[in-house]
Amino acid sequence: MINFHSMPVILLDRLPLPSLRAYTIISVVLLSCSVYYAVQVTSDPNWKANATAQTDDDSDAEVPDLEETDIEVDSQNVSMGFQLGEMVTFMIQEPLCIWTLINMAYCCLILLGKFIQKLVFGELRVSEQQHIKDKFWNFVFYKFIFVFGVINVQYMDEVVLWCSWFSVLGFLHLLAQLCKDRFEYLSFSPTTPGWSHIRLLGLLISILILSGLLFLICVAVGFFGGFNTFAFMVAECVQLSVQTLHVILRYALHLYDMRQGSTGTAGGAVGAGAGRVWERRGPLAYYSELVFELAGLLLDLVHHLHMLLWSNIFLSMASLVICMQLRYLCHEIQRRVKKHRNYLWVHNHMEQNYPMATVEELAESSDNCAICWEKMETARKLPCTHLFHNSCLQSWLEQDTSCPTCRMMLNIQSPVAMEASRHIDHNLLAGEGPDNVQNANRRPPNHFFHFDGSRYVSWLPSFSVEVTHTQLFRSNQAQPAQTSQLDAMARQVQQLFPHVALTTVIEDLRVTRSVELTIENVLDGRVVAPPPMFQRDSDPPPQVPEVELITTVATRNEPTSWEDLCAVAEIRDVSESVETSANLGGRFSKSSAERERILQLRKDQLLMAARRRYMEKHRPAEPETSPSETDQKDEMQQDKDDDHIINASPNSSLRQRHIDS
Amino acid sequence: MAGSALRRLMAEYKQLTLNPPEGIIAGPINEENFFEWEALITGPEGTCFEGGVFPAKLIFPPDYPLSPPKMQFTCEMFHPNIYADGRVCISILHAPGDDPMGYESSAERWSPVQSVEKILLSVVSMLAEPNDESGANVDAAKMWREDRAEFNRIAERIVRKTLGIPTP
Ligand SMILES: [Zn+2]
Ligand SMILES: [Zn+2]
Repeated sequence: MINFHSMPVILLDRLPLPSLRAYTIISVVLLSCSVYYAVQVTSDPNWKANATAQTDDDSDAEVPDLEETDIEVDSQNVSMGFQLGEMVTFMIQEPLCIWTLINMAYCCLILLGKFIQKLVFGELRVSEQQHIKDKFWNFVFYKFIFVFGVINVQYMDEVVLWCSWFSVLGFLHLLAQLCKDRFEYLSFSPTTPGWSHIRLLGLLISILILSGLLFLICVAVGFFGGFNTFAFMVAECVQLSVQTLHVILRYALHLYDMRQGSTGTAGGAVGAGAGRVWERRGPLAYYSELVFELAGLLLDLVHHLHMLLWSNIFLSMASLVICMQLRYLCHEIQRRVKKHRNYLWVHNHMEQNYPMATVEELAESSDNCAICWEKMETARKLPCTHLFHNSCLQSWLEQDTSCPTCRMMLNIQSPVAMEASRHIDHNLLAGEGPDNVQNANRRPPNHFFHFDGSRYVSWLPSFSVEVTHTQLFRSNQAQPAQTSQLDAMARQVQQLFPHVALTTVIEDLRVTRSVELTIENVLDGRVVAPPPMFQRDSDPPPQVPEVELITTVATRNEPTSWEDLCAVAEIRDVSESVETSANLGGRFSKSSAERERILQLRKDQLLMAARRRYMEKHRPAEPETSPSETDQKDEMQQDKDDDHIINASPNSSLRQRHIDS
Repeated sequence: MAGSALRRLMAEYKQLTLNPPEGIIAGPINEENFFEWEALITGPEGTCFEGGVFPAKLIFPPDYPLSPPKMQFTCEMFHPNIYADGRVCISILHAPGDDPMGYESSAERWSPVQSVEKILLSVVSMLAEPNDESGANVDAAKMWREDRAEFNRIAERIVRKTLGIPTP
């Protein structure tokens, strides 16, 4: 999506906007003023004559039909209902009253939105607010372009009608966006209470129903307004439904996943059944995702094409904006299709090359799937005999072509990656053959353009441009683009010589740049293991400065602050804290609140213990030690012996803090 | 997507709680968002970072473990492999596709078999032995090579800071 929002948002942030309360009060006051005014005017039986005289000249379009209906009414019959009808008629005719009515409608809409937000979402997170703001301004911008650029409305009442349509639509769009954001956020947490799911789903379903109603309105309007108007309106409407349905579906899948997960870990028999369903769920989720994404994009594309072609907006600002949007949409569709082709390719490749593991093999390797850490009921086997869930392996191979566990290069050439790698292969082959060594060693010619302007006209400048070819494949330094190629080559070598470490092979390949040469080197025993990674350049840390540092720190320490610090670390109640440490030790609570608390306690303990150890080590070497300090020393000695106490000692103070807070 | 990531993170959290590696604690700060963790790493013994307890933030992508998490120290850090803003630059945290430094073979990079525990352990060994081939912090790398005493002094100050002990 092209975002044009930043500027208005910044402007708006600077503007002093009234609070919602103030706005509501102002709106209500304005409305009551205009109602009072209307009552005053309509209490005079002759108001219509005055009003028509007044409004005749400024709004010819709407007055005639209103008059017709009014004339039929018997002016003698002044009932309450009639009075009200009169008043409303007046207010619709009076421009000032119309604006207050519209303002009131918006105020109600905002209040409704606020109410829904309070009911369903509670406090909005910052990112949600930002998202909504962006979406809002984007929507306003595009609809502005649409109304004044594409449709090119001429009359005020038409503008008002479109505005009200878009207000309702935009309102629902924003709500749907909010639902989506919140759903994504909730899906990050394992412990969302059920009722928040229900409220969110309820809102989503109501949005879906409302978009159905809007669709009916579209049909009705299209019946009178012609096909183009219908198509414009219906596209937006269907878009909303597709988006909402998509979120609902994802939501349902997620809830299903979570339930499966909990039953899967809870019991064996249930888990086995779930595992089988699990395997089928992958493609289902993928294809529904694909269909919804593509449907949304295509719909948008058609809508924009429609706007561009069926309205005379060529060579205007509006057409430019729409073309940019079209370009973006095309790009997105292309990307999605490419991704899908990759998916299909990987899928077929897996079907053809990697067999499902047999029951014996599964029983033999009692490990869980290394990708999702869950038990495997069925699995696919890679040539390196590593087993994975079908869907886990699929999603990994879509982005990488090696075994996750042992990093063995798999022989996958997806159609997307094919072209790029073919290019590299070509280059590589050219460099590999002995005949081509000369060729590859010769630097490609540099192109040098020189333009001497002064030779033609004295005031023309002279300049030269040099185009150099950087060499990728003959440098000593490994280049980023070729590391994967290097890896692939290393795998080839390693398949022949499994006993040679991969890093060793890679090191040698860095020098030789050829599989054959490296193989020769290995055969001749010329390949040596490189030193371990981290020690290559760094010396072992020197000891002398360390000692110096400690002594300087120690002597510079002020005894007073030292004692204070010890006192902080010292507060303890052993009998109580032993119990807490037993509570903490190696326990994974089922309740999330308890888990959070235990984690916090463990962190505090770690920090306290580290602090105490540090101070113990850097204790200032003082000639005379006060009795309290010897106590401390003893205690610390004791702490060192007894792990329990060292862990537990800061506890009571911590716990105190916890209760306080 | 997020469902399976969530279950895997839960499993890792459980494992890290039940069998924590020495001097390392990690877990979600707030379980409302299970994809943001805080880790405490104790500086390895016998190094200039010895004794410090360094807090770091781990942000997991929705498609974890297919993509690696991002790790960033939230305390002040001065180390050749840590950017000035605290981001950690080690090969295990790089997705197989991207290679910003151009020195790693993909064997050292992220794969779903890696885990939070392995990441944190590699960070500990990175603290112990900086790899000055990747210059995330050029100043630190230079000082590590040329003026080790000054480097140690800075590290000492940082250690004290993380422990809340005022520098004398
Ligand atoms: Zn799996
Ligand atoms: Zn393998």
